[in-house]
Amino acid sequence: MAQARTKNTVSGDASLIGAGTRVRGRVTGDGDVVIGGHVEGDVVVRGDVTIEDGARCTSNVEGHAVTVAGELAGDVSASGPVVVGATARLRGNVRGAQFSMEDGASFAGRVECEFELPDGLGEDHAAPARRR
Amino acid sequence: MASTVIGAGITIEGEVTADDDVVVQGTIRGKLTSRDAVTVESGAVVEADVASGPLSVAGAVTGNITSSDRVDLQAGAKVVGNVKATRITIADGAQFKGNVDMDV
Amino acid sequence: MATRDAVTVIGRGTHVRGKVAGDGDLEIQGRVDGSVAVDGDVTIEQGGLVASDVSGRRIVVRGAVKGDLTATESIALEEGARVVGDLRAPRVAIVGGLVRGYVQSGDGQGAPRGAVKSAAVARPAVAAKPAVPAAKPAVVAAPAPSAPRAVQASNGSPAARAAQPAPQQVAHVSRERAEAPRAISLAGGAPAAKQGPPPQVVPSLKKGAKGALKKKA
Repeated sequence: MAQARTKNTVSGDASLIGAGTRVRGRVTGDGDVVIGGHVEGDVVVRGDVTIEDGARCTSNVEGHAVTVAGELAGDVSASGPVVVGATARLRGNVRGAQFSMEDGASFAGRVECEFELPDGLGEDHAAPARRR
Repeated sequence: MASTVIGAGITIEGEVTADDDVVVQGTIRGKLTSRDAVTVESGAVVEADVASGPLSVAGAVTGNITSSDRVDLQAGAKVVGNVKATRITIADGAQFKGNVDMDV
Repeated sequence: MATRDAVTVIGRGTHVRGKVAGDGDLEIQGRVDGSVAVDGDVTIEQGGLVASDVSGRRIVVRGAVKGDLTATESIALEEGARVVGDLRAPRVAIVGGLVRGYVQSGDGQGAPRGAVKSAAVARPAVAAKPAVPAAKPAVVAAPAPSAPRAVQASNGSPAARAAQPAPQQVAHVSRERAEAPRAISLAGGAPAAKQGPPPQVVPSLKKGAKGALKKKA
């Protein structure tokens, strides 16, 4: 299976998987990755990951800052902020330092940000499990 | 302190405890406690014991009333319950059934 | 006093323990433990503490909530919001604050399994891609009389047909697929190779992305 051999067509260290490209396999690296095409396989990079509008990924994504504006089926684990754009369709769980989501996004999954509720509301509640 | 207003379309079943003044236009069933003034407006329904500062009633209260200050029943008020207050006025047209205790 | 449009304010110094229900909008500056279910808009102000499920038409959170939020129109979390619980609404916007829980917005499907309008709009070729190999022989056979290599093994192996890169749309895929059979045919027998790995690739595409995601996921 073809590993992603991304081309440096974007400034700096960013790699680009263009709109007409299909990747089947793991995408790994140190820099940033901008995905405009199809990716089936995990994306694990040290830098930022951007899934553009029109992109379709079936991937677990790991990176620093992760921005999703296209379609993603898979989990996101970010050491930085996670941004879900209005055109995004995301199914999967998200973990990040921060999480923001624009009106219009279609999202189904858990969001896990690390924080404590103010005193008076107690600890985490495990109730959501029963809902699903 | 910001005041609390229980709007006309709202029903609270349970306890309401306030540091600030409370205006009731809707329904409270349970218990109503405020350190400050309470106003039960016309159309409001309070099926609860009420403990408050000054209390003004123009609606319906069914329950015992304990006020640290005065209690005023306006015309149209309907109160069923015992009232403990420093002063009380019952306007012409108000309905009241219960005991009044002004020994503070 | 207005009835339907009355705004209810739970003041900063007020603590409600019980059920809050009814019509009208609700603004929570204080504390609510129990449940909140109103027809109107619910705003949980900064400093508000809600240990309760909340349901309403539009919910705006700037305070802390431990409970599930369900809205018929929209949920918005703004700076200062701290929510532990599920969020369910047709539109969910999180422009600030922190969340821990299940979030469901839009049609609640997240990434769809199958050809999607956005994919089709952006690149019709891509959407057509799976369709072409799966299509009737007429479609593929017509443009590809010149590459007879795979035609022989035409037990209908779609890989074989697709390997004929005649249709433009199939170009990028065929690049990938063509390489596979070619590489394998170099290593071993040609007919066997054609029925080997390539069918693994093609069936998933043939059924459309739906099949691909099902198999891969």
